Amino acid sequence: MTNFPYGKAPFWILVLSLVTGVILLVVSGKSDNDSYDLVFVTFARSHLEGYQKATKEFEKEHEVRVHTQLVSGRAVKDRLQSALMTDAEVPDLVETLADSMGYFTQGPVEDIGFMDLTDLLKQEQINGVTLYDRFVESRFSRLSRNGRIYALPHDVHPLMLCYRRDIVEDELGIDINQLQTWDDFTRIGRQVTKDLDGDGNPDRFMIDLDKAGGDFIIPLLQQRDEGLFDVDGNLTIDTEGVIDTIVWYIRQCYGPNRIAFSAGWGQTLAKTISDGLVLFYYCPDWRSKQFEMDVPQLEGKLALMPLPAWKPGERRVSTWGGTGLAITKACKNKELAWAYAKKLYLKREDLGDRFMASYILPPVKDAWELPIFQTPIPLYSNQPIGQLYAALAPDIPPNYASPYYELARSKLSEAFLNAAQYYQEQGKTGLRDYTRSELKRVSAYVKKVMIHNVFYADAMQNTSGETSNRTMSK
Amino acid sequence: MTPSNRRAPWFFLSPYLLLTLIFFIYPFLNAIILAFHQTNGPKSRAFVGWRNFIFVLSDSDFHTAFWNTTIYALASICVQLPLSLGFAMLLNAKKDNLKGIFRLILFSPHLVGQVFVGIIFALLFMPRHGLFNRFLQGLIFWGLDQEWLSNPALVMPALIIVSMWMYVGFNMIYFLAALQNVDQELTEAAMIDGANAWHRFWTVTVPAIKPVAVFVVIMSTIGSYQLFEMPYSMLRGYGPKNAGLTIVGYLYRTAFETGDLGTGAAIGWVLALIIFTFSMAQMAIARGMEID
Repeated sequence: MTNFPYGKAPFWILVLSLVTGVILLVVSGKSDNDSYDLVFVTFARSHLEGYQKATKEFEKEHEVRVHTQLVSGRAVKDRLQSALMTDAEVPDLVETLADSMGYFTQGPVEDIGFMDLTDLLKQEQINGVTLYDRFVESRFSRLSRNGRIYALPHDVHPLMLCYRRDIVEDELGIDINQLQTWDDFTRIGRQVTKDLDGDGNPDRFMIDLDKAGGDFIIPLLQQRDEGLFDVDGNLTIDTEGVIDTIVWYIRQCYGPNRIAFSAGWGQTLAKTISDGLVLFYYCPDWRSKQFEMDVPQLEGKLALMPLPAWKPGERRVSTWGGTGLAITKACKNKELAWAYAKKLYLKREDLGDRFMASYILPPVKDAWELPIFQTPIPLYSNQPIGQLYAALAPDIPPNYASPYYELARSKLSEAFLNAAQYYQEQGKTGLRDYTRSELKRVSAYVKKVMIHNVFYADAMQNTSGETSNRTMSK
Repeated sequence: MTPSNRRAPWFFLSPYLLLTLIFFIYPFLNAIILAFHQTNGPKSRAFVGWRNFIFVLSDSDFHTAFWNTTIYALASICVQLPLSLGFAMLLNAKKDNLKGIFRLILFSPHLVGQVFVGIIFALLFMPRHGLFNRFLQGLIFWGLDQEWLSNPALVMPALIIVSMWMYVGFNMIYFLAALQNVDQELTEAAMIDGANAWHRFWTVTVPAIKPVAVFVVIMSTIGSYQLFEMPYSMLRGYGPKNAGLTIVGYLYRTAFETGDLGTGAAIGWVLALIIFTFSMAQMAIARGMEID
């Protein structure tokens, strides 16, 4: 120390920095995850809680340790994106929102960070039925690319309508069976939407619809087999079906004959329901549990009904939301991860228990036969809501993934709002033509963004027989 | 100086230099390179020259994002900062025991995270049941069913209201510190010379607090152009007709929602250039005023 040329203080600073540096290297070099056989990340607390029992059983059966982590939805996506790009540590299994699957499955197939589960699903059988056939087929649509499946569907999320049964049936005497089509629904809606106390503000609305369009239009599009993208990834937001839906939606939300109110979410939504300000609400399975938690005082006063059809005899269900479970390619023990995935998603008894905890209908069809799905739920006037959702689930429409999904959704909403403004200023004359022109405009914009990506442009050229000579580096 | 003595400063600076190299210089250079590429999935990229910059500068959504952000920045400077100065002057004028409490009340919103603020205000701005709408209805008999977050025309006013709530107190602290350093002898001399309050403010107070004011204006401008979390969480996206789309939001959408990291990097550079230009202009204006 006395021979150190720069003096005592620099010597000790150097010693201190070296010691802390070594400690930091040792600590950061050893990940917590190294002591586990599998690391599983999910974004939903309710999912994680539901998996505890199965995870403990799995650990016992396989004599392994599974680390389950809860990370918020946005963080799961962002961290996974970064980790996959930089080859950093990723979990072995991850649950992610189906909306983000388009992002994770873009690029060359060999670069996709998730394992291709297609062959496993189509080859493995139980009692002569493949795993693939045990699931609701349409739920693979958002989790696939070019027919290859990269995640297991967690849910079906059938969309029904929840309504204030006490007001609709008992007070207003409306027979729900008469609401077969959306035309029936709007006709009745115009009769019941009114200002009850004469203060100039309506005090009762027929349905909760977001006036900005938002997430509420897409389920209606899906119900009539429309959507943002088709199975080949082509943009489909300017079809006649989309125009019809938007024109219909505008007329429910705006103008003197409107029947809709934007109830929002959280506490304001709960207040709207309990006040009876709105009579009918979108109710996918996950929301039915949310309502049970938010408005328990309405026990026996709510009920579920299928969506009205667009035309008599047509589909009476749609879907809202979705989650998938993927196994990352970086997973050290893929067989173990696959066994764990099957344990979580395919064990019938657990699926029943989990349904009662969350009211989320599993996509495994044979599980719906369990008696627990027939359980009457007091909030919904003792309707067996599991049975109701399950009856509609096989008819759930597909919904296809794309990395441009969010952009297309935002642009659809923009076209909708422009058309709504037109309706407020000009009325219904010319509304359809204006809506068509707006949808063509936003569709052209999204296509411009898609074509700006040289890889997409090359893919389009290649499919039309031309060869790309672009220099690519990997 | 011996050779070992000459090396000594570099030796002790090396941890800092190493970290800067890894976490600043490398990403900085990589971001320049990335801006001239396009990506496809996590691994593939292709060189595209200036294509990303041309696309961004000609993109209507970028123009929307630029104007939204500029309006927000102007509101920050023209509405928020005068309010901050006003509160600071009020708190500076009187010496009483409540001063500390008011200072805390005005400053405390800044302690809350932007995401949290966004979520809370989304509830406050709800039609019919939102507290803000009910307050307006009670006060001026208007606003009960106003859809602040669904009506494109009301989104920006809503964002500005929230930002005022968050930042007026924060900027006030800077102004208050500057006001407390204003030479009282100059103020008293001006009073003896017959200057009224308005003259004292323009001829004594403003020149004295100008360095701080310039700093606050520049920092507010930079902060405004970096706006993202608050509108994104409040509007659960970018708002109707992109009324809440900011430049950073546009960057996020391009890079992390559609996966075009190259164009995202180009947007980042355009944003850096915008901030640099505005900051330089503000400093030049301030210098010009000083010479005058």
